[in-house]
Amino acid sequence: MINSAVLSGVGLRKSYGSLEVLKGVSFAVDQGEFACLVGKSGCGKTTLLSLLSGLEKPTEGKVSLGGKEITEASEDELALYRRENVGFIFQSFNLIPTLSAWENVALPLFPMKIAQEQQRQRAMEMLEKMELNHRTEHLPSALSGGEKQRVAIARALVNRPKIIFADEPTGNLDSATGEAIMSILHRLNDEDGVAILMVTHEPDLAKQADRLIRMKDGEIAS
Amino acid sequence: MNYRYVVQELRHHRHRTLVNILGIGIGIALFVAINAVSSAYQEAVSLPFRSLGTDIVVQRPEKRTSDATQQPASMRGIRLPFSNQVLSQDDLNQIETIEGIDSSAKSLLLWEFDKSGFRTIMGVDASQPSLGPVKAKEWIKEGRFPQKHGEVLIEKHYAKFIHKKVGDNLEIGGKHHSVVGLLEIREGAQVASANMYLPLADAQSLMNEGSGGVNVIFLRLKSPSLLGQVKMDIVKKLNGVSVTSSDSLMELMGGVSKISDQFSLLVSIIAFGGAVLLIIKTMLSNLVERSREIGVLKAVGWTEKDIQKQLMGEAFLQSLLGGLGGLLMGYILSFLLGFLSIPISTPWELNLVPAFAKNAETAVRSVRLPVSISFGLSAVSILLSLTAGGLASYAMGKRASRMKPAEILRQL
Repeated sequence: MINSAVLSGVGLRKSYGSLEVLKGVSFAVDQGEFACLVGKSGCGKTTLLSLLSGLEKPTEGKVSLGGKEITEASEDELALYRRENVGFIFQSFNLIPTLSAWENVALPLFPMKIAQEQQRQRAMEMLEKMELNHRTEHLPSALSGGEKQRVAIARALVNRPKIIFADEPTGNLDSATGEAIMSILHRLNDEDGVAILMVTHEPDLAKQADRLIRMKDGEIAS
Repeated sequence: MNYRYVVQELRHHRHRTLVNILGIGIGIALFVAINAVSSAYQEAVSLPFRSLGTDIVVQRPEKRTSDATQQPASMRGIRLPFSNQVLSQDDLNQIETIEGIDSSAKSLLLWEFDKSGFRTIMGVDASQPSLGPVKAKEWIKEGRFPQKHGEVLIEKHYAKFIHKKVGDNLEIGGKHHSVVGLLEIREGAQVASANMYLPLADAQSLMNEGSGGVNVIFLRLKSPSLLGQVKMDIVKKLNGVSVTSSDSLMELMGGVSKISDQFSLLVSIIAFGGAVLLIIKTMLSNLVERSREIGVLKAVGWTEKDIQKQLMGEAFLQSLLGGLGGLLMGYILSFLLGFLSIPISTPWELNLVPAFAKNAETAVRSVRLPVSISFGLSAVSILLSLTAGGLASYAMGKRASRMKPAEILRQL
């Protein structure tokens, strides 16, 4: 499992004080896999996503990303791992309100030693992929919910990640727009081979994944 | 650091940015103006000596036995001022022996009293080095400096007062003199200002002093650092003389200048400290508002150093703009304050008019504040504003590094 896995977590535990949120979860996502985490609110889905993406360190257990163990890495090393391997899509889009659409997409590239013109070009390519060529100079406040999420997906893709973490990506969208976003994610998964780990509450969306992982009370139920 | 991001961030939060820039700007403007005025004040106080190219004035005062503020009942004709008795040949010889004196100019100051009042007369040898009343050569507005016996140069306001012009005759001490020129006393030069200027020999003949009779000596030193030593030597070698210099004026105005010095330091600290606190406080509260943004930056792979550099760019740009704006405001404020005049007090022995005529107006009692902003002060102001930015970005960087992306993003 480890050899073909782009991401794996073994025996992951996470406690906040006396509250144990994750109780020894082992989990892996293979290259090009579309996996979906489902479960009730508070069951530990988002915490698992944080540990696997290196946003947070486990109390116990190990996480390997792209073949490298990241559990002992420093905050800056984790940031660099995320920059090179990971893309994020959030429920609330989390675009920077003061930056235009293309600047938001290029955000992960800003600290890299890449010429600004090249950064812009890569951002434009991603926006074109999301069919947002006409919105490149607009601020997030001028975009619809679906457009914002497509900008967020473009941002997640701009650094050519091995895996995308999507936390309730359709949670703030109407069903039609949600469907459109899902089809984009499937296209990325199918055509570009990007692994996707998605957290969702919606059973219909979860069914579209290659693999469904149910969580309950900080453990994987099935 | 991404300049585009820095500029966009500041541009989109223009009110917040403006408050920060204004805060620093006002602090720096106060710092600049207060320091410029304080220096101007010190410079104005030293003006009476500086404008005469003089470091030290030596006089021999009379031992006063009665209240000098009371006009003596029978004081008529030409008299020596109480503060300026004739210096003996021995006094003059002793001064010649003192080390550190570059040049000197000797003159004879006289008062003439008549039924209409009094006037001051300065006897000057124009062949001496250009310091003290010899500087009067540079103040001539019309005509020329007296060159021979019987010629007089008159201060233009006094000439107007007595209705005299170049070419007119004027009686001084019962002797006829021809007015050959009018002069205007240079600002701050009251230590050598008189109503009339005569050749030294003429003034000496009015007082029936033989050749060599002088009662004021203006000295220029080889170096200002020798001031204390030379003053001490004069006092030691010439018993009972009065030795004054620009630091005597400073001492005379000591209370005011000390308060001005301490006040400027205190206000500068408060102004700058206030600006630093303001920018730190507003930027830190901005950072709390921007915690989501910090969380996103960390999530998409920005290291703490990247974020710190970005915040530093914002803080430095605002500080620099605030500093430059403050400097400009400081210049304007200083320019306006330069229109103020301050009265310069002189020690009684340097007051050329009789003590009982204190209220008699001369043209040079007060001077305009010579306010100017040096390159050094400008540079320090910009450095201070950048320091404020540095402190603010350090505080923001510390706060940002404590922000955990998972915690921030979970709260959204």
